[in-house]
Amino acid sequence: MLAWAGEQAGLRTGDEYGNVDIVAGSPADGARRPGRANPSGSDELQAALSAVARGDEAAFAVVYDRAASAVLGTVRRILRDPAQSEEVMQEVLLEVWRTAARFDPAAGSAGAWITMLAHRRAVDRVRSEQRAAQRESRSAVAAEVGYDEVAEAVEASLDRERVRRCLDSLTELQRESVTLAYYGGYSYREVAQLLGVAVGTVKTRMRDGLIRLRDCLGVD
Amino acid sequence: MGERRTGLHALVGAYVLDAVEDGDRAKFERHLLTCEQCRDDVRGMREAALRLAAAAAITPRPELRQSTLQAATVIRQLPPAVAGERTPALRGGRWLAVRGRVRPWLAGVAACLAVVLAVAAVVLGVHAGAMQQRLTAQEQHDRTMTVVLGAHDAVVLTAAVKTGGNATVVMSHRARALVFTASGLARLPDVMAYELWLTGPAGVTPAGMLPPGRHGMSGPMVVGGLTRGEQLELTVEPATGSRQPTSAPIARLVLGD
Repeated sequence: MLAWAGEQAGLRTGDEYGNVDIVAGSPADGARRPGRANPSGSDELQAALSAVARGDEAAFAVVYDRAASAVLGTVRRILRDPAQSEEVMQEVLLEVWRTAARFDPAAGSAGAWITMLAHRRAVDRVRSEQRAAQRESRSAVAAEVGYDEVAEAVEASLDRERVRRCLDSLTELQRESVTLAYYGGYSYREVAQLLGVAVGTVKTRMRDGLIRLRDCLGVD
Repeated sequence: MGERRTGLHALVGAYVLDAVEDGDRAKFERHLLTCEQCRDDVRGMREAALRLAAAAAITPRPELRQSTLQAATVIRQLPPAVAGERTPALRGGRWLAVRGRVRPWLAGVAACLAVVLAVAAVVLGVHAGAMQQRLTAQEQHDRTMTVVLGAHDAVVLTAAVKTGGNATVVMSHRARALVFTASGLARLPDVMAYELWLTGPAGVTPAGMLPPGRHGMSGPMVVGGLTRGEQLELTVEPATGSRQPTSAPIARLVLGD
């Protein structure tokens, strides 16, 4: 089974209050509530993003500091190759800079927008570059846990523990469908094949799994 | 076809997870235009996906920060969408749908980097350099660059440089030319410099010395007269340049075609 984020990243509970700023507030924010996006935190990212849309370079540094680690982590999950992942991370951040004026808060949070760009770009890249052959070796790699990421500087967070618990609350099929797609970059057809279940089943498990995850995480 | 509608609605999770293929993606995005419930679902699920992303966070190497911020300073930003074309819930989706063609990410990157390079040309060649004479001597260089960056068939290639930094090429097969730029290259002693090479069936030919970097950016360099099956390589050479590479390539870009 594909291990989910925390395990694979070598979760260190000791510094779980380390912070992933794309979701929550800065460490200075005293009033963080576990499992909820800190409103001031996401507002801050959004404020920085709208300043970026006006060409504010200092605000772009804020966006980078808050988003780069989540972007890199997401991309790296899918692409695996560290150097390529760094390139894509930079491309995504530059895309954020370039298209910041097109971000629409009504469609979701700034963090969700940025990580969507990252995820989609990584998936697009994988699909356009590697088809059949590499896919085989990738699925072998995906099945292993741990690789060399433990040696990376990993940001642990309160959110990570929460995500772990919420993923655990899904059925196994829901969890595998969601994580193979999100962390593995597989299409629902590929997931169906990997899990040996019908395509329609995978589609509904992805939907139900995400709904459950959303409710569990208390977002929206 | 009620089944089709149900089928589309069931796709919402796969859509948010980017687990749909291009055809399904476009279909679902059209469906989103008329399905408010779906837009709400997408929004909520995207927030959940954000938590998945955050849970996978890896701290980037510190030097990437500077090169990214630096690169941004030379990229022209898109203006806001015109009020008349507002479709709030779909802005992201539509923007991405545009990229979702045959070479989705390349198209976006090409547009993005073409701008990087174009502006870098101005910053490095005109503004920072402030050398009118050199500029005049570079007219041909600049004209080729404009052609490449504006070419409809322009593609972008990137490669990590072994000794640090990233190399980027925008290439037009039709113009048989490319524009090379690099960011974050390691600083070399004065007696050494970076040199570009074209290697191919015909052997190895020098493609130019990279001028010293400014603000973490090196280039842009124009390389013309490309032929099929060539590769672009970067090596470290004595500052006077070499006729043949004297060290192993630290970056290689396969130019294709």
